Amino acid sequence: MLDSRILLKSLNDLEVRIMLCKSAFEWELLAKKYVDVESNIKNFFKKKKIPENFTTALDSLRASLVQKKGELPPIDLSDFFK
Amino acid sequence: MGLIRGIAEAVMEKAKHEVKDYLIKFMEEEKEKEKKTEEIKKEEIPAVMQKESVKIEEFKEEDDEDEEILPLIESEFTKFTYKVKPKDFTIPGELAETIKMLPVEEFACFVKLMIFVFEQKKNFGYLGNTLRRKIGLESFENEKFDKTVENLEKYGVLKIEQVSDNQKTFILYVPFDEENMAKAEYQKPEKSQQKKPEKKPFRKGDDDEKPAERKEKPVEKQDDQQDEIPGKAVFGMENDDLYKSYRTFVSLEIDKAKMRVGRSNFDKIYMEAVKYIDKKYGFKVLSDSEKFKEYLTNYYISAFDIPTFDSWKKTKV
Repeated sequence: MLDSRILLKSLNDLEVRIMLCKSAFEWELLAKKYVDVESNIKNFFKKKKIPENFTTALDSLRASLVQKKGELPPIDLSDFFK
Repeated sequence: MGLIRGIAEAVMEKAKHEVKDYLIKFMEEEKEKEKKTEEIKKEEIPAVMQKESVKIEEFKEEDDEDEEILPLIESEFTKFTYKVKPKDFTIPGELAETIKMLPVEEFACFVKLMIFVFEQKKNFGYLGNTLRRKIGLESFENEKFDKTVENLEKYGVLKIEQVSDNQKTFILYVPFDEENMAKAEYQKPEKSQQKKPEKKPFRKGDDDEKPAERKEKPVEKQDDQQDEIPGKAVFGMENDDLYKSYRTFVSLEIDKAKMRVGRSNFDKIYMEAVKYIDKKYGFKVLSDSEKFKEYLTNYYISAFDIPTFDSWKKTKV
């Protein structure tokens, strides 16, 4: 039985890992993890409304992921044009 | 009697001493013999060892010379893209049977490469300097990574193609599935040459304004696609020299802009681009490498006032 606290904890863990993320490869893994956790939360609260603390946690996590993506070195497009 | 006994005792005493001396001498001789044999052995062993080590080296040299990796399969390499990206990453049974025979490092490298290109919905990619890091093989040194990739080619599960002087691509052997995959024919130079003559009538038709309507429509559609996604490798359009040179032009313009605005400003622009793409196209696009590059190119085109394909084409014609 999945407890909502586990989901919240996984969100918190992700936040810490995003702060420590240093490469694009690592970022992609975290982004996937975020999408998974997000879908898990949606499934968990299927019939009910998602609590506010979850939505704010998800929003802030997404924002920090976007921020981190922007902070990492710009993607090299040279191979894309060949 | 007393005298005889005395003589007998004296004789016995002497005999005892003689026996003792004899035994001591015998023991000493034995010891000397043992020492000699040990010395002889010690002298012989290094010689034998040397001979054996020489033999081992010879064997090693022979091994290095004979280190021929035989292909596991006679594979046909087809560049493909997934029509619809499967939800989960899977290794087809046939391929799994083959790659399970690879050594650990080659196996790991192959699977990591496969996961990497799967994310981009294809089975090929560029062999660049950053590939090692992109697939998470930082623990490998460059030389080791190159060697591993070479070995994979020898095993017949990967093919390296020299695209230009500095660029190489790799194609992974993945069994082709017609239902879920589409051949990326535009990247094969042989076929591109075949396609060129087919395209010429279209262009001539456009110039003369005489083509049948059916022929005009696909051409217009292709142009629309180009306008939507300037950096995208559109099927069939890759052969178009004009479009190719436009892509080169865009690439150069972005590089120029990068130099012009400076590193820190460019980083800021990139940050804004990421935020913009996230807002406009959704978060998933950020982790889809190909799409992200497309949208990023679009953003740069508008941010750095780079002409669109249509306007650029007009200046060329």
